[in-house]
Amino acid sequence: MVGTATPAARTGRPARTSPKGGWIAARALFGALVGVSLVAGIAGGLWRLGVAVPDPLAFAWAGQVLLVHGALMICGFLGTVIGIERAAAVNQRWAFVAPLASGTAALCLVLGHRAAGAWLGVAAALSFLAVNALVVWRQRAAHTLLLAVGAGAWVVGSLLFALGQGGDAVFPWWFAFLVMTIAAERLEMTRLMRRWPAASATLPAVLSLLLAGAAWSGTAPRAGGLVYGVALALLAVWLVVFDVARRTVSTHGVSRYMAVCLLGGYAWLGIAGAAWAAAALGWPTRDIALHALGLGFVIGMVMGHAPVMLPAIARIKLRFGAFFYLPLAALHLSLFVRLVLGSFSEPLRAAGASLNAVAIAFFAVTVAGAAVAWRIQHGAEGARKAR
Amino acid sequence: MSSLCQRAPEADPAPAAAPFPYLGPQQLQGPLAAALSRVVDPEVSMSIVDVGLVYGVTVDAARVHVRLTMTSAACPVIELIMDEAEAELDKVVPPELQIRLELVWEPPWSPDRMSPGAKRFMGW
Repeated sequence: MVGTATPAARTGRPARTSPKGGWIAARALFGALVGVSLVAGIAGGLWRLGVAVPDPLAFAWAGQVLLVHGALMICGFLGTVIGIERAAAVNQRWAFVAPLASGTAALCLVLGHRAAGAWLGVAAALSFLAVNALVVWRQRAAHTLLLAVGAGAWVVGSLLFALGQGGDAVFPWWFAFLVMTIAAERLEMTRLMRRWPAASATLPAVLSLLLAGAAWSGTAPRAGGLVYGVALALLAVWLVVFDVARRTVSTHGVSRYMAVCLLGGYAWLGIAGAAWAAAALGWPTRDIALHALGLGFVIGMVMGHAPVMLPAIARIKLRFGAFFYLPLAALHLSLFVRLVLGSFSEPLRAAGASLNAVAIAFFAVTVAGAAVAWRIQHGAEGARKAR
Repeated sequence: MSSLCQRAPEADPAPAAAPFPYLGPQQLQGPLAAALSRVVDPEVSMSIVDVGLVYGVTVDAARVHVRLTMTSAACPVIELIMDEAEAELDKVVPPELQIRLELVWEPPWSPDRMSPGAKRFMGW
């Protein structure tokens, strides 16, 4: 640092060296909402497969949590995380209404107020759509438009959920929200690479197919599911061919780690597409379809981006190291046990699901350890400034 | 962020004196370019100068004015990159000068702005 002035003092930009009480409280509130959604969502998923840790009978709202496992994971956990990420990007206070609503909706669902939670979820998705409209207004580009369409898919899925529709109608829309969000962000990155002219045109076509599949799934589950599965598989091919991850995997450090997470996720996306189509044709592959997509693809992306997003959003600096690959390997291994070995044995499927939860917890511990390691390396003063 | 990132080995290790429009004292040109080149986009392991996010730097008697863009308005690391740029500039800008970082969206970023090394790395 030159002289005694801080960068903020010299630039007039808001100082981040001394976080105010409101900022700390907001961070704690969002952290709690995300944490409750994740823990309750995982517990509901495990209880479904008969894994009684902790004993669901000891928990008053176990039945509710069981029913809304998907809503808690997709809207409560991922919707809130993505909402915070987008609000941080637009840097507007009102944009945090979306993640606040989705997190509160998850809390309502956990506490058994299903209708309130479902309609609050609709409000969250609508608020998120408004945030994305602002993004499009600031930058009219293919990837920002796709982000907005993805937000629209979240609105449709949440409306169907609030109106009492089942998983066959709701999940394709909710997953379309996640898949389109990730695809749009990857499309933006592919602009750095030399691409075939067809690349930009084919992605909207594949995603249109995905939306068509989601729409048909409500009225014609067989045809809709088949189309949806084919679209997922085609998207996996598109991402493998055009994503910058094929280049950045040859770099070092966190960039390579992110690329490894991305490429692994694309493999699970392809598997999810095949399984989704097979399930529509009557094969017993529904668990593979949902969890190769939700865990292998989406949580894989979360693990990949956390070392960069957490410092950006939560102002928590992390010391990156090769140890980040351990929970990632655990996730892939646990998915192999659950989705491949579990196809032949129900106990193995349940064991795989437990290992999925362990892998996610392992990742959380890894992130916490990386934050502590950064503080030790840079000292308390550096950590204070980083906030 | 610097603790997280390492540059792509194929990218240019040091950019030219100022691979962006520069208006100001000659002696600050190199240090300012070097400072901005130390700010890395972690996703692609390249500096913001190599990616072409620096639209221009103007230095007058009172301040250093840096115009930056991002590849996406939906990018949550915008603030992080701005903070990092601010910190790196603070190391080289004389104490009597103010630093002004301006985030701009016009003209929109395009791959044409990437450095030759960055383009080579990305297969252009």
